[in-house]
Amino acid sequence: MLNYVIRRLLLIFPTLIGITLVVFGTMSLSPGGVGANLLSEEGSMRPQEREARRKYLNQRFGLDKPFVVQYGRWLNNVLPIGWKYNDAGVSTGVGFKVPDLGRSFVRERPVVDMIAESLPATLLLNVLTIPFIYAIAITSGVYAAKNQGKWMDVGTGTAFLALWSIPSMWAGVMLIGFFASKDYVQIFPTGGLHSTESGTMQFLPAWGANGFSRGYLLDAVWHLTAPVLTMTYGGFAFMSKVMRASVLDNLSADFVRTARAKGVSDRVTLFRHVLRNSILPLITMASSLLPGLLGGSIIVERIFSINGMGRLGLTAIEQRDSEVVLSITLVASMLTLTSILIADFCYTIADPRVSYE
Amino acid sequence: MSSISLPPGLAGPIGSPAQPSGEAPPRLPREAPKFWLAIVLSQTVRRTGARIGLAWVAVVVFCAVFAPFLANSRPLLIKQNGAWSSPVIQSMNWADVALLLLTAIAITLFFLRRILSGRWLAISTLGSIFIVPIVCYHVFPEQDNARLGRFRQMQASGELQNVVWAPIRYSPEDHQRDSFDRNRPHPQKPSDANALGTERIGASVLSRMIHACRIALAVGFIAEGIAVVIGVIVGGLMGYFAGWVDLLGMRLVEIFSSIPSMYLLLTFVAFFGRDLYLIMVIIGITSWTGYAYFTRAEFLRLRKQDFVLAAVASGVPTWRVLFTHILPNGLTPVLVSLSFGVASAILVESTLSFLGLGPEDTASWGSLLNQAVAAGGGFYWWLATFPGIAIFLTVFSYNLIGEALRDTLDPRFQGRAR
Repeated sequence: MLNYVIRRLLLIFPTLIGITLVVFGTMSLSPGGVGANLLSEEGSMRPQEREARRKYLNQRFGLDKPFVVQYGRWLNNVLPIGWKYNDAGVSTGVGFKVPDLGRSFVRERPVVDMIAESLPATLLLNVLTIPFIYAIAITSGVYAAKNQGKWMDVGTGTAFLALWSIPSMWAGVMLIGFFASKDYVQIFPTGGLHSTESGTMQFLPAWGANGFSRGYLLDAVWHLTAPVLTMTYGGFAFMSKVMRASVLDNLSADFVRTARAKGVSDRVTLFRHVLRNSILPLITMASSLLPGLLGGSIIVERIFSINGMGRLGLTAIEQRDSEVVLSITLVASMLTLTSILIADFCYTIADPRVSYE
Repeated sequence: MSSISLPPGLAGPIGSPAQPSGEAPPRLPREAPKFWLAIVLSQTVRRTGARIGLAWVAVVVFCAVFAPFLANSRPLLIKQNGAWSSPVIQSMNWADVALLLLTAIAITLFFLRRILSGRWLAISTLGSIFIVPIVCYHVFPEQDNARLGRFRQMQASGELQNVVWAPIRYSPEDHQRDSFDRNRPHPQKPSDANALGTERIGASVLSRMIHACRIALAVGFIAEGIAVVIGVIVGGLMGYFAGWVDLLGMRLVEIFSSIPSMYLLLTFVAFFGRDLYLIMVIIGITSWTGYAYFTRAEFLRLRKQDFVLAAVASGVPTWRVLFTHILPNGLTPVLVSLSFGVASAILVESTLSFLGLGPEDTASWGSLLNQAVAAGGGFYWWLATFPGIAIFLTVFSYNLIGEALRDTLDPRFQGRAR
């Protein structure tokens, strides 16, 4: 096990270098390269301002150096461990440091701060979505497999394929259009994660002197319902089909026949023997689910006006704030990588047969 | 998908000679030997799901090919000063001509499929796909869309003796300025003039939706075409050579599958601009990992089989072993993921358009959907409902086809084709 963990952790490095190469390559191969924002806005910038930006770009990227050096410099900047430099650009040794993701010239702030502000919303959405997806997928998958071939199974099979095909932006737009508008039905709030007055609310819902107050927690739940719904349905529709196939596979396996022959009840067979084996493909699937979820949260954040990373990225693109876009892609890739790693470890815990020796 | 039971009579690999036997072989109907792929496809087509899916895809293809004849501000036929002419045909651009020509070639090849050999079919199909658009691009100039309302004015002023209009009387770029009404600002609700309403700057939604079929099809096929080519080559090399090539390739697959492609697309759009072809290439570059994975598994399974060893022993060059001996036998899992891949590529393109990062000035379902919720809080239901249904049906169709294909290939479903 320890051996496997170490090997897995060592494999991160090539992947990390690959991802950063793709991201940095995109930037430097684009027309004008890293310095493009220097050129395109040249006319509208004051001389001192331009000089400051040129100095910044030269110091940060070393634009007069070859690609490899530029890349190395940038990599050293964005990593949390590496050579440290003081403000004058003199090395002060190797060690841990705050990753420097650059500056946003539109908002005049370090990118790290902007990401630190928007990351929690995105993480909250994704972390809330995953348990819902798995709970619904496992329940409905087992149910469909138990009733294999009956109309319920065939019906949910087609319905889930249809559900999976519904574009999440359409679902989101319909939800906000029909269920959060004055013209139709107003069940959901129009956007955001909290009401404006949520700061003054008490935490739990309560009956007060002037009627029912929903409190901070319920307010957040109310705001999160529609976004989480939009992010969930596609995932569980897909996973439920995987779960059904996997349960069916295991139901016809030898160990199930043995268990039945010994006289183990159907219920125990299903829940003790089949279920545990059937969840394994779902854990594997997590590695393809997670990048999709992160991408999906861009759409959800946009539709429901949630200030997360996706929304930050979209505004940055509109404002041509290149370093923000780049950092967001980098952070999103790191998040995916980390979650795939976690899924991998879960797999080794769930399946004791897996050996990576 | 590693063990696929073959239909009876096809237990050997494609192209292997028939088993010699002492007795006289039973008389077979005089038919060209069928590829396994052809058998799988014909079994798939018999399934209900695949039929529904194919029917909708056929509708989309029809709309894409005949878009200028279905929705156009220029009449199909006019009679002016006693002479007939066709403004639609006169105003066709290179894409219109290329699509019509390709359709004609496809229909011809379909009827000639029994006469021509497989090799010639493949060569002429691939050849025309590459040559026709290039030739058309250089022969036919881009048409200008200025004054699209002039035929309506000519008809109103009685200049034309006879007019045959297209079923939908507005081009996707026609903003209907001649009928602008201060009291009814765009977007307008569905009405007699515009069956599905108008969008924000006054173009007909139905017309834009019909022309958007082209983008949906093009993105699906070009993006996934690129992905399949990359994936099959990388996966094939990984599977055939195994060892360190495999190890290196798997790391590459891991890297590409752990990049969230939506964010990478945003980065590319931010740095390179909103170009349709670039978007297709990026979707292709980021979505090949699934194909590589499946191809690798198939090649690993086939690399030590007798017919491959025989080919290697008789001195066949490696690339021919890879592409003419192994590839046709290991292509079917790729086909399944291709169908799902086309669906997701269409989804990605409409998502980009929805986020306002899609190709500029092009009719697209996603960009119509984008206008449904106004910044001020208004909701134009027709701009959400109809394009949304179009995206959903197209994605659903490809998924249905993919699932039918997978069920056909799945040994557990053998003999239960409905």
